Amino acid sequence: MTDIVRENAVPPAAAKRGATPTQRMLQIAFARSDFRIGLIGFGLLVGLAIFLPLVSSIDPVKIAYSSKLLPPFPAEGWKWPYLLGTDQLGRDVLMRCLVGLRYSLLIGVTTVVLMFIVGCSLGLYAGFRGGWADAVIMRLTDAQLSIPMIILAITILGVSRPTVPAIILVLGLSGWPLYARVARSVALGERNRGYVLGERVLGASDLRIMLLFVAPVVLPPIAFVAVLDIARMMIFESILGFLGLGVQPPTPTFGNVIADARKYLLNAWWIATMPGLFMLVSLTCLNLMGSALERARNAVLRGEA
Amino acid sequence: MNGPILAVSNLGIDLQRAGETRRVVDDVGFALAPGEVLGLVGEAGSGKSVLARALVRAISSPLEIVSGKVVFEGKDILSADRRELMAIRGNRIGFIGANPMGSLDPRLSIGSQIVEKLRSVKPGIGRAEAREKVLDLFGRVRIPSPDARFHEAPFQFSGGMMQRVMIVDALVSDPSLVIADNITQPLDVTVAAQIIRLIDDLRQSLGTAFLFISSSLPVAAQIAERTLVMQRGRIVEKGRTEDIAANPRQAYTRTLISRIPPIWNNVSAPVATEAEAVLKIDNVTRTYRVRRRNTFNGFNAVKAIRGVSFTVKARENFGIVGESGCGKSTLTRLLAWLEQPDSGRIAFLGKDLSQLSSRSLTEFRKSFQLLLQDPYGSLPANMPVQRMIEEPLLIHGVGKAEAARLAQEAMAEVGLSMEFAERLPVGLSGGQRQRINIARALVLKPQLLILDETLSALDQVEQAELLDLFTRLQATHGFSYVFISHDLALVRRMCHRIAVMYLGRIVELADNATLFERPHHPYTRALLSAMPTLEDNRFPRSRYLLDGEPPSPIELPSGCSFRSRCPRAQGDCQRIDPPLLVIDGGNAAACLHMHEALTEKETADVE
Repeated sequence: MTDIVRENAVPPAAAKRGATPTQRMLQIAFARSDFRIGLIGFGLLVGLAIFLPLVSSIDPVKIAYSSKLLPPFPAEGWKWPYLLGTDQLGRDVLMRCLVGLRYSLLIGVTTVVLMFIVGCSLGLYAGFRGGWADAVIMRLTDAQLSIPMIILAITILGVSRPTVPAIILVLGLSGWPLYARVARSVALGERNRGYVLGERVLGASDLRIMLLFVAPVVLPPIAFVAVLDIARMMIFESILGFLGLGVQPPTPTFGNVIADARKYLLNAWWIATMPGLFMLVSLTCLNLMGSALERARNAVLRGEA
Repeated sequence: MNGPILAVSNLGIDLQRAGETRRVVDDVGFALAPGEVLGLVGEAGSGKSVLARALVRAISSPLEIVSGKVVFEGKDILSADRRELMAIRGNRIGFIGANPMGSLDPRLSIGSQIVEKLRSVKPGIGRAEAREKVLDLFGRVRIPSPDARFHEAPFQFSGGMMQRVMIVDALVSDPSLVIADNITQPLDVTVAAQIIRLIDDLRQSLGTAFLFISSSLPVAAQIAERTLVMQRGRIVEKGRTEDIAANPRQAYTRTLISRIPPIWNNVSAPVATEAEAVLKIDNVTRTYRVRRRNTFNGFNAVKAIRGVSFTVKARENFGIVGESGCGKSTLTRLLAWLEQPDSGRIAFLGKDLSQLSSRSLTEFRKSFQLLLQDPYGSLPANMPVQRMIEEPLLIHGVGKAEAARLAQEAMAEVGLSMEFAERLPVGLSGGQRQRINIARALVLKPQLLILDETLSALDQVEQAELLDLFTRLQATHGFSYVFISHDLALVRRMCHRIAVMYLGRIVELADNATLFERPHHPYTRALLSAMPTLEDNRFPRSRYLLDGEPPSPIELPSGCSFRSRCPRAQGDCQRIDPPLLVIDGGNAAACLHMHEALTEKETADVE
C-alpha cells in the first residue's frame, strides 16, 4: 500500500538540488565562455583604471608642449613612456583614457546601484501594497518617463555645475522608473501567492513579508539585468561629456576627450580613437557578462538546469 | 458491425529519460463493444492518460510504442498512415479532457470553433448544415438557449457548461468512440453528477461507445458497465463494475476500495458534545464591489456572505461544506481575519476581533491559525524547513535559540524527520509540506485551526495519515478544528457538526448523523445524492439531483435564493427568504417546506 505512494513522490534528483535559483544561475553563467571572457576583460580594465594612475608618475592633465602629438607605440616617432601617444597639449593619451574610464565606471556603477535601490524599493512597495501607494508611485514614473533625458540633463546640469553627483542625479532620475515598473509588476504577481497569505496568517507585518519573502524573489532577476544597464549608463555619461554637460575639462572623460579630439582626427587619429577603443572593449565585456547572465536566467526559468 | 469497435492487444509503451527506459504501459489488452461504456481506473501516474493517447497514436518522444496492436473499426491504428489517422482522430474517435476552460481559443465564439472543427474533419459538410448540427447537440447536452450561447466566448461559460461544450465538440462528428479523460475532476459534485447523467443519456440515444477514464472507482462505477483497473502500466483487474466493487479479486483493487470511506454503512460518526464556545460568528456579511462591464463608473455588489451565524465549541470539529462560489473561501478569509466583515461580529474566546487594537490582535492571532489548501504555493521557496517553522515564533518576538528548540519539537510532533531541517522545500511531497504548515501553526500554541481544503491536494494515503495526526494533536492540545471542504466523505468522518452553504448563506446546520441520515434541506439532499459512492446511495439521483447551476451572486432570486433550483419551490418561496429554522437539538435548516417534505413520500426513502 505504501509503495504505491512512493512511486508518485517527487524524483530524488529534484530533492538533492538544494541550490537556490540564483546560485544555479551563477553556476551556469560561470560555465559559459562568453561570461568568463567578459569577466576577465572587464576585470583587467577595471584593475588598470584603478591602479595604474596611482602608481604611475605621469600626470594626465599636465601640459607639455615639448612632447605634443606623439604617435602611439608601433608607429614611427613614438616615445617612452607614451605608449598610446600624446594629444595636442602633450598629455599622455593612455593615462587620460584610464582616468576617463574611472569616471565612466564610477558614474555608471553608482547610478545603477542608486536606481536599483530607489526604483526597486518604490516598485516593490507599489506592487505589494497596491491602492493609493501604487497609483501615486506609478503616476510619478509616468511623469518621469515623459521627460527626455537630454532635456533633463540640459536643465539640471546647465543651471547647476556639472559635478559627478549632479551627473549621477540626472542619469538616475531618468532611469529609475524602469526599475520601479519591473519590480512592481513582479511584486504584483507575488502579492497573492500562498506564502504571503501564510505569513499574514502567522501575524507578520507587511514590511517583514516584503523584505524577507517578496524581495528575494523580485530582486535577483532585476539585478542580473542591471549589469547590462551599467553599460547603458556609461554610454549616457560619455554622451553628456561629449555635449559639454559632463565632468568639465581639464579632467579627462571619454566624452570630452573625444569632443576635443575631433579637430585633430585627420593628423592625430589616436587622440579620439584610443578612448573610443577603451569604451568599445569595456562595454563589450559588460554586455557579454550581462547577456550570459540573462541566458543563464532563462535556462533556469525554463527548468533546463 | 458486430464484434468490438476497438481491440487493443499486448500494447507496450516505453518512456526514455536520462538514459533510462521505463515501461509505462505494459502488455495492455482489452476490447470495447459498440455503445459500451468501459471504465479505466487507476491512480495518478498509473499510465491511464498515456494509454488513452496511444489509442489515437498521439504519442511522441520521449514516449514510444514498442509493441502491440490497436485495432479500431477493423483498421490497425499503429500502422495507419497520416491520412488514415487524420480521418480517425477527432472524427471517428472523439476526446474530452479534464481542462474544459483551456481547450478552446478564448477570443472566438464557442459555436464557430466547433463548426470549424466539424468542417475540418468532414470537409463535405456545408456551413449552415454544420451550424444546425452543433445547435442540435447544444440542445441535447441541455445548454439553455443554444441559439444565444452559440455566439458567446469561452469565458462566458461556467466550468460545467464548458464541459458540456467539450462533449458537443467530441460528439459533433458522430464518432463511434469517445475517450473521456477525467472529465468530472474539475467540476463540483452536483455538476459532475449532471454530466455523468448526461453522458449516460447520450450514450443511449446516440449509441456511442465511451472509454471513461477516472482516478476514482466510485466515479467510474456510476456509469461504466465494465471496468479496467490499472496499476503501474498494467491492467491488474478487469470485469463487470459491480463485481469488482463487490468482491475484488486482486490485492491492489482491495486496497483501492478499502480507502474509499463509507458514508452510510458501518460508520461511526463523531457525536457532538457540550462545551464552551471558542469561536462565535454572528450574522456576518461581506459584499464585494466589482466594476460593471461596459460602464464608466458602475459597480455590482457581489454578496459573498449573507448573514452567516454559527458557533464552534472547544475540542469540536466543525465542518463547512458547499460547492464553488458558495462563499467558503470568503468565509475562510473572514475567520482568519484576513478581511473584515461588512457587518456582524466575529468573536474569538469571547472577544470581538474588530474591537482589538492592532497590537493585541497580533498577539491574538497566535490562537487561531489557518492551514491553506495549496501545499506548494504556501511555503516560501528559498527558506530552509526549520527556519520556516521558526518564522512564526520570530514574528512574535521569541529569541532565536528558543525558537529553534520549539521548532525542532514541533517537527518531531508532526512527524518530520530532522534531516529536513536544513533543506529547502524543493522536492518535498505535498504531505510533507502540509506537515510543515501544521508545525508552523503548532509552534504558536493555537486553540483553533481553520483547515481550508487543506487535504484536497493530497492523495488518499497522505490524507489518512494527516487526519490521524489531526486527531492526535486534538487529543494532546485540545484544538478545535474548522474543516472547510467540498469533500463530504471527509466531513462525514471527522466533523461533529456541519454547516451546508449555498450562495453565501448557511442552508442547513446539523450534527453529523442528522445531516447525513435525515437532512432537511433539499440542497443537502442534492449534495448527498451527487456523491459518487460504491454503496447504494440513500438519496437516489433520479429524485434528488438538481438541474441547472447556482444563480449569479450579483442577481439573486427574490425570496429563497435556492428556489430557482428547488424541486419543492412553491409560491411563498418567491416572497419569503427563510432564515435558519430550528428543528431540534440545535439542528436547523433554511427551508419553508422542510416539514411538509419530510412527511411526504420522501420520508420512506430516508427512514
